[in-house]
Amino acid sequence: MAMNPMEQFEVKPVIFHDPLFSIAGHPIYFTNQALFMIVAVTVATLFLTLTVSKNRLVPSRGQSMAELSYEFVASMINSTMGSDGLKFFPLIFTIFLFVLFNNFLGLIPWTFTATSQIAITFTLASFVIVTMVIVGFMKQGLGFFKLFVPSAPWYLLILLVPIEVISFLTRPVSLSVRLFANMLAGHTLLAVFASFVVLMIGAGGIMYGVALAPFALIVCIYALEMLVAALQAYVFAILTCIYLNEAIHHANH
Amino acid sequence: MPPSEPEDLKRLGERIDAAGKKHAGEEPQAQPASAYGIAFRLGTELVSAVFVGAGVGWGIDWAAEHWASLHTRPVGLVVMFLLGAAAGIRNVIRTARQISADMAPKE
Repeated sequence: MAMNPMEQFEVKPVIFHDPLFSIAGHPIYFTNQALFMIVAVTVATLFLTLTVSKNRLVPSRGQSMAELSYEFVASMINSTMGSDGLKFFPLIFTIFLFVLFNNFLGLIPWTFTATSQIAITFTLASFVIVTMVIVGFMKQGLGFFKLFVPSAPWYLLILLVPIEVISFLTRPVSLSVRLFANMLAGHTLLAVFASFVVLMIGAGGIMYGVALAPFALIVCIYALEMLVAALQAYVFAILTCIYLNEAIHHANH
Repeated sequence: MPPSEPEDLKRLGERIDAAGKKHAGEEPQAQPASAYGIAFRLGTELVSAVFVGAGVGWGIDWAAEHWASLHTRPVGLVVMFLLGAAAGIRNVIRTARQISADMAPKE
């Protein structure tokens, strides 16, 4: 019986036990996180295509869910970036659904939570920031550098510009740490309480009844984790909107 | 269009009206963020800025030593660490302002 609450985050090769190929001497394995990201993408694609395949005027429950998620992201973009932000809809909708389905899939027992790995979340966040920088330079040219120059007297700018640059460099870090740490903390907590139940039942006697307490807590934490899974996908998507907004419009903080 | 559609629409309209009557007078619950979420967000903003600042400072010292053989260690680390802390507080203030703007009742 595994008692280590961190064991669930172990990245290991699945299905194929030999490396698929190697890049510069580093063997590349097909790992459980790759598998579950593929599963998440497949489930999200099936969800969207199957539910709208009937395409009825009065939507079924499934079609309502697909339409709601579409409208949710569309209104989020509208409120943060205005209507000219809608050309980023495919990007933001994809990121939102990818994070959401990975978070929810991880809540199913025996699955792996790809978003609990900083390698995954930091890659996503860097992708967002690189997109933001490219779009910013395309839209504003060198005016994009105004993002680093707050309105202040020149002698304060000597101090403020480095602070703003560091503040900008923080974005991919805080974006990725927030998602990964939330997932890591929640799943570790669930595993710790689950091991309490196992230990208490193993002890027997009166502990057999006491084991109900952590078991009830697991149910509550699980419900909270459902909320966190949705909330973190939302936060990731809305921060992407806010950052892209600064790239397409002039920054005003 | 199949003839059953207007019937469907009428029934949907009735159901929406019924649901609307059931919840009439209730304020729509606007909960943009939980307290836990806000605390987590502010915490990561502060901590990650300090780490990024310290990391950049470490990198500056390393680069100065390896490429220009200047022994600036630990000046770069100390200075950038302090700037990182300042950037972290700047981030927290900005995020807190944004959250309170989101939570303010909209006219």
